[in-house]
Amino acid sequence: MNAFAIAFVEFVVRLAGWLVLAPLLPGIINKVKAWVGGRRGPPVLQLYYDLARLWQKGVVLSTLVSPGFVAGPAVAWVAVLGAALLLPLGPIGASLSFHGDVLLLIYLLALARFCMAWAAMETGSAFEGMGAAREVSYAVLAEAALITAVLALSVHSGSVTLVTMLTPAAGAGAVLLAAGLFTVLLAENCRVPFDDPSTHLELTMIHEVMILDHSGPPLAAILHGASMKLLLFAVLLVEAVLPLGGLSRLAAAGALAAGVLVVTVGVGLVESLMARLAFRRVPLLLTTAFLLCLFALLVAWKGGDA
Amino acid sequence: MSPGPLLFGAALGQLAGMIVSRRAPRFWLPATLASAVAALGAALFVLGGGAEWQWRSDFAIAGDSLHLRLDGLSAFFLVLVAVVVGAGAVYSREYWTDAAHPRSATAGRFWWSVLALSLGVVLVSSNGLHFLIGWELFTLAAFFLITLDRQRGEVRAAGWLYLGASHVGTLALFAFFTGIAARTGGWDLGPMRGHAELAPLFWLALFGFGLKSGMFPLHIWLPSAHANAPSHVSAILSGVTIKIGIYGLVRFTGWLPVPAAAGWTIAAAGVVSAVLGVAFALGQHNLKRLLAYHSVENIGIILIGVGFGVVAVAHGSDAASWGRLALAGALLHVWNHGLFKSLLFLGAGSVLHATGTREMSRLGGLWRAMPWTATLFALGAVAISGLPPLNGFVSEWLVYLGLFDAALTRGAAAWAVVPAAILLGVTGALALACFAKVCGVVFLGAPRSEAAARAHESGPAMRGSMLVLAAACVAIGLAPVMFWPAVARAIGAWEPAWVDATPPDSLAVLGWAHLVLAALALAGALVLWRRAHRVTAPRALTWDCGYAAPTARMQYTAGSFAGIVTEWFDWILRPVRHAERPEVPFPEHAGWTSHTPETVLEHIVHPVGGVVMQISAATRRLQHGRLAAYLFYLLVGVAALGTIVVIDVSQ
Repeated sequence: MNAFAIAFVEFVVRLAGWLVLAPLLPGIINKVKAWVGGRRGPPVLQLYYDLARLWQKGVVLSTLVSPGFVAGPAVAWVAVLGAALLLPLGPIGASLSFHGDVLLLIYLLALARFCMAWAAMETGSAFEGMGAAREVSYAVLAEAALITAVLALSVHSGSVTLVTMLTPAAGAGAVLLAAGLFTVLLAENCRVPFDDPSTHLELTMIHEVMILDHSGPPLAAILHGASMKLLLFAVLLVEAVLPLGGLSRLAAAGALAAGVLVVTVGVGLVESLMARLAFRRVPLLLTTAFLLCLFALLVAWKGGDA
Repeated sequence: MSPGPLLFGAALGQLAGMIVSRRAPRFWLPATLASAVAALGAALFVLGGGAEWQWRSDFAIAGDSLHLRLDGLSAFFLVLVAVVVGAGAVYSREYWTDAAHPRSATAGRFWWSVLALSLGVVLVSSNGLHFLIGWELFTLAAFFLITLDRQRGEVRAAGWLYLGASHVGTLALFAFFTGIAARTGGWDLGPMRGHAELAPLFWLALFGFGLKSGMFPLHIWLPSAHANAPSHVSAILSGVTIKIGIYGLVRFTGWLPVPAAAGWTIAAAGVVSAVLGVAFALGQHNLKRLLAYHSVENIGIILIGVGFGVVAVAHGSDAASWGRLALAGALLHVWNHGLFKSLLFLGAGSVLHATGTREMSRLGGLWRAMPWTATLFALGAVAISGLPPLNGFVSEWLVYLGLFDAALTRGAAAWAVVPAAILLGVTGALALACFAKVCGVVFLGAPRSEAAARAHESGPAMRGSMLVLAAACVAIGLAPVMFWPAVARAIGAWEPAWVDATPPDSLAVLGWAHLVLAALALAGALVLWRRAHRVTAPRALTWDCGYAAPTARMQYTAGSFAGIVTEWFDWILRPVRHAERPEVPFPEHAGWTSHTPETVLEHIVHPVGGVVMQISAATRRLQHGRLAAYLFYLLVGVAALGTIVVIDVSQ
């Protein structure tokens, strides 16, 4: 009973951590961008205020949409949360861990993508169709890179279970893997140079243009889900590179927080210093990410032989 | 208790169905359903742990005595046949009625029964000759079903292509079975891995069965046949008959020895089929043709699993654990694809029934008129895209696990496994893109034509059969462990050394995770829905950058949605594009069409066929009806023979 209670408390804390901390990341990114640009910028907690306000608001629906327009973001949010809970957090492991859970994680993210594309297509808007088409098309290359990265981790650690895969550091290929995963993070979370979250021209958007017609609570679910996805990728990247599994709980928590902060600031710096790529360049950069992960895989492979 | 009587009952049911199909059509459906239930019972008896059933009789057909056998593998495929035959029969009673199709409804019932019976014969016969007879019969029955609507020229063309291609495959199988018979001294089939001299025959089997299963590049007949057949026929063709090709491949790689390259070749063909199948699907604008290309993709996924299973057998007992997973994934995907592809084709049939068109660019917004069809089609789409928590993910996950575990061994197989796993991931993402496109363009948004605006929901029989298939998809997704014994039994029939009735631990955990995910997704959707409708949600025009008069024609179409990806695959898709640009200041006309033809057919088979036809036409000049010339041929022939004899004697 006691063990069960501890497990329950741990689960609740973990859940709360994912839900509560996630909206911090976009705030930090915006702060970094403002800082580089010499502005004061919005407060770090801005997304929390936005979410609270959106949750209170009413909704305007397009005349064309079915109930799937609201259900899509909800299912996508659940899928991303499920994926997050599969991710181990250093020495305390994951909520659920089994042989092959990493594939479930990847496909939960795919489920979220399908639901978002579905919700976008609901409106019959050319803009949202365009955004959905870009999202699902570029994801093909991002998924190839992600699977290759996962294979590299698997081969390096000799396991297909996330907990074991992420316990050691990625070894000699860590730099390659980090570069590849960071690029995938930027693409999957629609950051510069793939997409510009603060653009105001619909024709150049991917993610923002998919949610043009969403408002109120569904928009809150989308924004919160997006921030959780960003945190998920940041945690995955940090854990792939740092050997958190071997540290004590406190040290691991500190290292994880510091790592996520570094990644977030890195995203902010990239966003401040780079311009968005032309769309025909996007596949090229994603292919580069794939190749980086592939070389990481080769390094892991040879590393094991030596 | 033995499955024998049940099987004979099932056969009698189909025979009765043939007899009553013309005179007493109302008895046809009960007979077919009873037969399907009996066959299902027999198959489940064997899969549930009952002894495999063998029956030899002195009764001879075509000079050879009967030898029937229902083991784990044939029972596994028989389940799929029974389920889809039953569901399709129910669907057809509303979809292809006597009132709407007075010329072909009777024939449709008759050939449906013939098809069901001959599929059963192929699965249970353990004699090469009878296998071939069943095979030919089911090819013919399928031909007549495809051409039910033969007033349309494209249907006839698709039928002929199917018939021709199938017979090329049958020819290879003739050579295959006669090769076995010549080397073993009889038509009787059974486990004979000891006969090493049989190994080269594998290539004939790969060609014959691969052609039937729609393996790339032997799939040329598949898209047009599946697109032009009536939808319940497309369902059984795509869901079941192409799986009989897989059955043949699995059956004979299990019974016969195979050459060393066999597994690698199957797996390579699988990877190519998977990626190119979905790439071609993305290029299609015709709903049913698109679904047909997805069959090529899913056959590819199955072949990847089967191929690495064969490789694992060659690697000995170390490879058993990952080989078993890959093969289990492939076999479960046979069921899964049979279920969700039949569901999708029946859904496409409902759309066709309601709107009269298969062109996606004329559809749109159908969810409003057809909520059942839209929901069930969406469920099938999630399943076929391999997304949790449905059945497609379970089988793809098993294949992935097999591949990943093989990669961890770092052996010879690992080098091949890495590209296969990555390309399997690419295939999954492409399939997701394709079905996001299909669902979005067909069911969501605004109707693009008058026909789509006036659509109506289909009746209870059509909805009911789709519901059954959808329920099966959900069941396998949420409780995969329950279905493991059947898979294990089929694997045991294939490679006795791999028998393991206990499911992998992680499969049970995955099932629970799916259950929780499904519950949370429903709950989440409900909560958000209620929150969004706390106060009445006002309805307004879709926001189009402030444009106040959007029309349905402004929506993204199937072609534009897939444009980015099809551009990547231009080198093989070779789409035909035709653009009329608006040129003058006030253009009156502008247009854009694109069409993705079947590349292998148009750029390889047609040119080669053309050359053969030219040569044939040239030889035809020898045949002109002038007696004097024929006498001259005779003279030349005799002289040539005489010369040969003289030269031979002199040596």
